[in-house]
Amino acid sequence: MSRPSDDKLREIVARFPTTREEDWKYTDLSRARDIAARWLEEKPAAAASASPDRAAAITDSIDAAWLVIANGELQTSRPPDGVTVGKVDYIPLGDSALAEFNAALVSDGIRIRVSGKVSTPIGLLLIDSAERTSVSQAYVEIEFDDGASAGVIEYHASRGRADQYANTFVTFGIGEAASASHVRIQDRGRQHVQTSKTRVRVGKDASFSSASFDLGGCLVRNDIDIDIARPGADVSFDGLYLAGDGQHIDNHTRVDHRVGPATSRQEYRGILNGRCRCVWNGKAIVHEGADGTDADQANHNLLLSEKAEIDAKPELEIYTDDVKCSHGTTVGQLDETALFYLRSRGLDRNAAIQVLTHAFAAGLVTRVPVPAARDAVSSLIERRLEELAVTIEDEES
Amino acid sequence: MATETEQLESLVNRRYEHGFVTDIATESLPPGLDEDVVRAISARKNEPQWLLEWRLQAYRQWLEMDEPEWAHVHYPKIDYNAISYFAAPKSDDDRPKSLDEVDPKLLETYDKLGIPLHERARLAGVAVDAVFDSVSVATTFKEKLSEAGVIFCSFSEAVAEHPELVRQYLGSVVPRRDNYFAALNSAVFSDGSFVYVPKGVRCPMELSTYFRINAANTGQFERTLVVADEGSYVSYLEGCTAPMRDENQLHAAVVELVALEDAEIKYSTVQNWYPGDENGKGGIYNFVTKRGDCRGANSKISWTQVETGSAITWKYPSCLLRGANSVGEFYSVAVTNNLQQADTGTKMIHIGPNTSSTIVSKGISAGRAQQAYRGLVKVMPQARGARNHTQCDSLLIGKDCGAHTFPYMEIRNPSAKVEHEATTSKISANQLFYCRQRGISEEDAVNMIVNGFCKEVFKELPMEFAVEAQALLNVSLEGAVG
Repeated sequence: MSRPSDDKLREIVARFPTTREEDWKYTDLSRARDIAARWLEEKPAAAASASPDRAAAITDSIDAAWLVIANGELQTSRPPDGVTVGKVDYIPLGDSALAEFNAALVSDGIRIRVSGKVSTPIGLLLIDSAERTSVSQAYVEIEFDDGASAGVIEYHASRGRADQYANTFVTFGIGEAASASHVRIQDRGRQHVQTSKTRVRVGKDASFSSASFDLGGCLVRNDIDIDIARPGADVSFDGLYLAGDGQHIDNHTRVDHRVGPATSRQEYRGILNGRCRCVWNGKAIVHEGADGTDADQANHNLLLSEKAEIDAKPELEIYTDDVKCSHGTTVGQLDETALFYLRSRGLDRNAAIQVLTHAFAAGLVTRVPVPAARDAVSSLIERRLEELAVTIEDEES
Repeated sequence: MATETEQLESLVNRRYEHGFVTDIATESLPPGLDEDVVRAISARKNEPQWLLEWRLQAYRQWLEMDEPEWAHVHYPKIDYNAISYFAAPKSDDDRPKSLDEVDPKLLETYDKLGIPLHERARLAGVAVDAVFDSVSVATTFKEKLSEAGVIFCSFSEAVAEHPELVRQYLGSVVPRRDNYFAALNSAVFSDGSFVYVPKGVRCPMELSTYFRINAANTGQFERTLVVADEGSYVSYLEGCTAPMRDENQLHAAVVELVALEDAEIKYSTVQNWYPGDENGKGGIYNFVTKRGDCRGANSKISWTQVETGSAITWKYPSCLLRGANSVGEFYSVAVTNNLQQADTGTKMIHIGPNTSSTIVSKGISAGRAQQAYRGLVKVMPQARGARNHTQCDSLLIGKDCGAHTFPYMEIRNPSAKVEHEATTSKISANQLFYCRQRGISEEDAVNMIVNGFCKEVFKELPMEFAVEAQALLNVSLEGAVG
């Protein structure tokens, strides 16, 4: 696929969504637009090769067959038995300027096919590294044959001090009675921008379970769109965002129940400290005729700083009556009584905060659907919570 | 099942009981809207120059605004030039001084509605400022109220007799250009009610206004302003029924409430405008802006609404919680049937410290109706200790209806506690079976369940209204379950 002209690319960038659009009301993409425009201006040479070894810690700590995608290009791939890795023939244009931008620039669309029950998880290490303003695109399609099952771990990282913007698209096609487990860890540099979209098509009697963790990035927007078009689907996904100074993390989820019976459940939790803003927008649409749908959304937030803001919006659109749908959202802070209890047992304030915030996050960690990733996720969260807790203002002082 | 369905259909298809037209000649302006119409309305009401200017500015601002399209409702574009902006009962110049002087036909209308005005007013101890079309024709219990120092009169009267109060508070909660429909109302509002409760006064009775739309093709543009001065209390009841019409009628009202320090306003509404027929023909477009301003410390504003009528409802009674420790409440039951559409909810804006708000919204959707709850809870950075609890439940009756929730939460203070819960389901087969098994008819069982579902809201209504609300609910929904 030949790369479109710079003028065409500039035109696409100019069409990036703005806060005037309802879906982007709380998230201003100016910074992404700005990086993309500068990158086009500077006419960069071929992307510098990223050094995947820097992220070796994660590939070492999680026992998986890792595919390394550096600056959008597939570098190494050692797929386990039952998994084939190839290139996609064609990248659909998508329905947004971000999808068009991705389709226009992605060098290798990667296609992963899972046939049979695969016990070794498939790891996707998406790492970007640049010393100059850079934009990277990744496009991955994962197809599960009927009855197949596997775990997929995405780890997003970036290195380098220059401005970076990564725009990734991951698609899951899950065949009949197939089962996909998914873990997404976003641990980018604190000054880097990411937009990501995960599209999931769930087949008859198939299951999709996912957990996603946002730790890094300065401007992060994740969309997950789940389409249930066959009966018997079982969908369950969680998300945790830990935001500190200078971070903006936005999670938009959408589940389309087109037929029933089917179940979807989601739970997002957030811990916010410092000057940061998080957005959670959950949308469940139960279409006409999707009888026997059971959809549940939950979102809980811990707001620990005067400068933090959370914007939450749990939406339900229901067009039939044989359904059970619910959502719950809470925003609050640490329980002073619990803090006092821990301190009366000899823990200092920070340690007590650690215990309580960790407990708040732990509920999701124990549900990580790929067991091999659990320990690594747990220690990443612990590290991030330590960073966050240090800056919590002591109200008594 | 088949016979049940038939039975249900006959119940669901019950016709609108209050659909009749009172034949009174009305004196209307020809359809159309321009500055001359605004001037004509103002002149006909003998308004002072400042109010005319205020209206004209609103009109000019309205011209620059776009009709909102974000609501989850669909309707053909409104031709604002096909609407007549003023209709008054003929006896405008010679308005009745007491009920005896009121046109007997008018009283008959109230009779048909089961609200014999004087009877009801006397028995229930309610003062009624009955708005028939656009001009108030009867006001009772004035004396008793004036003893207490409470001003309760039509808006036009307030403009004439208490211009300083009107001027001070008009538009101070809902500014002229707040939104498209508020701007339109500000330009052409016909009449409405004005209430002022002085310092420390507990209003001796519940104040009530009954509205009716009665002239074809006439938009009703009510303007209500309630001011509760320091330490006062007032409960205001607003209810409405409308006769059957084939053409859509636009109703764009504005209600402004101001609660000063330690004051409390309780505002209750039963809305039963004509919803259109089974095929969605006719019915009122109810595009209303309602907002209360808890301006003083420890003030409280409570909205309670039962919405059963209108073809389209677009309504978000809101509270600005400015004063420290101020309280906002929103209790709502909304019922949509046939092809009715409702996009309703509330906004709670927490500005002052230790402010709290409660939202309880119960939606019932049946037939092919679409209903949406849309709400905003916003906690500003300075609103320390803000507290909100939102409960938002929907009951679906039938395969073709819809229920939607769009709650927005924007929280900027770490000491805020905000909770939102919502559920959507149909009437449980188990509950129904249990009742049927005990010998209760399906119709009564559904009634019981629906009334139980709405109980939290009904118990907030004043007695008289609670009765009317339950009756309305039964008419709209009895047995509408499959």
